[in-house]
Amino acid sequence: MIDINAYLGHFAFRQLRHNTAPELLRLMDSRKIRQAAVSSADAIAYRNVQPANEQLAAEVEHHRDRLIPFAVINPTYAGWADDLATCQEKLGMKGLRLYPRWHNYKLTDPACLELVKAATGRGMLITIPVRVEDPRQRTWLVEIPDVPLAEIEGLVRAAPSAQFAILNGLGYTGSALGRKGSGLPANYSIDVGRMSAVLANELGRLVENLGADRILFGSGMPFQYPDPAIVKVEVLEVSAADKEDILTRNAARLLRLQL
Amino acid sequence: MTSDSLSRRAFLERAGAAGVAPALGAQTRSTGSTKTIDCHAHLYAQSSGVLRDSDSQLVEAADKLGIDQLCCSMLTARRPATADQFRECNRQVAESTKRFPGRILGYAYVNPGYTKDALDDVRRCVEERGFMGVKLYNEYWIDEPVLYPLVELTIELRIPILTHAGHMHYYLADQPRISDGSHIAKVASRYPEATIICGHVGGGGDWEWEIKSLRNAPTVYLDTSGSVIDEGMIEMAVATLGADRVVFGCDMSMTAGVGKIRGARISESDRAKIMGGNMARIMARRQRS
Repeated sequence: MIDINAYLGHFAFRQLRHNTAPELLRLMDSRKIRQAAVSSADAIAYRNVQPANEQLAAEVEHHRDRLIPFAVINPTYAGWADDLATCQEKLGMKGLRLYPRWHNYKLTDPACLELVKAATGRGMLITIPVRVEDPRQRTWLVEIPDVPLAEIEGLVRAAPSAQFAILNGLGYTGSALGRKGSGLPANYSIDVGRMSAVLANELGRLVENLGADRILFGSGMPFQYPDPAIVKVEVLEVSAADKEDILTRNAARLLRLQL
Repeated sequence: MTSDSLSRRAFLERAGAAGVAPALGAQTRSTGSTKTIDCHAHLYAQSSGVLRDSDSQLVEAADKLGIDQLCCSMLTARRPATADQFRECNRQVAESTKRFPGRILGYAYVNPGYTKDALDDVRRCVEERGFMGVKLYNEYWIDEPVLYPLVELTIELRIPILTHAGHMHYYLADQPRISDGSHIAKVASRYPEATIICGHVGGGGDWEWEIKSLRNAPTVYLDTSGSVIDEGMIEMAVATLGADRVVFGCDMSMTAGVGKIRGARISESDRAKIMGGNMARIMARRQRS
């Protein structure tokens, strides 16, 4: 399994466990997760994210065969292009995580489109977590809404040559992102996230609409238990080959990993 | 403990000994600690047309996930419910318990503001239809006096109350009377004989707050259901409340519900208690009466 949605470090509003490289690797071993795309949880709430990116790179340095670092970049913050260059060229980051609501911009703002263009030019996969945590448990300090799917739709349409992965969301089949024949470019994949795999079975419908090659395994660990994502794929009524694509091969293709 | 609660307990013990008939029927005859019991599930009104055959879909999902029994209530589409509306919901739940005997168990959902109607329907559901508990929503905080007669009836019938609950750090405009752990602890202190399950720790806001608020309410159980699957939630509940007070539930977030218990780093004996042992023990109280 390759987990497209994992983290290291600390979150501002709740203690995380399994959040160092050795601890996360032990958790991954216990669940037979071979590799994970990780970004800094600290960076979500930082103004200047670059120290968190550097800390992440140092944390995964001896585990790069399994922990694939992703950069968090805020395109409205001074020096972001320099930070992106450093992350990709010197720190070996293979992808990007965007937090438009935490960092106070819209995905279709010119600054973000410029970042997406620059990251695409560097061959980076751009990931967009729809949420970090459930908004019902927000603190008394800040209110961070989910990233609207319509906004993500606008971005994938505006940047057809980019490659995106949408994380930790649901409700796609009610939007153009999850509809067959929507006219959107096929430049995005979606992780199993918060979708149901029984009852309403949105995950099954999404596989039908987009194809299993557009679905990724993403758990949100260590914010979240990895097991619910595993259970979703277990109960999903698709072929064994499709499950293997979802669990491993699709992410390997996007991250250009040798299997 | 107050003398008031002692005298009430003594009264209810006598009432039980006087022969309140056990009426769970066939549905939970074979309940044992090895069964996986979802303590928090819902059925949807057939008249809504949205989820027709919701009971068979639910059982099919339970089959996939290894869930043996589903404790179900049906809430009205619009709330607060009138007495006619909650009676109709409970009638439909009763039909499902007949269609799936031993798989679907019934909670009687009532609006406690209709005191007599609520008490009558709960008694009918338990004694005649074999329901296993009462489901409360958010019409009142659970520690309000209007709830007292209902809580007393559940003590008499030896059945649990599963209550909707949550604690948010902001005003919830559409649920001004949602109970949280502090309300539940308060009513549990007044009625230590009652069995109250605090609903969906994974669907009610700040779960760390909710768990801590129940630490000193030893008769209150915590249901693990809800869509939130934050790592550490189950471990904190077990460490703070003890595994004997934690009960597995999904509240229709079924892969989340199963996955978070599977993922928790707890002993296998604690996991077994949570997955069904504790709920079986709760339901056995009625069977023993």
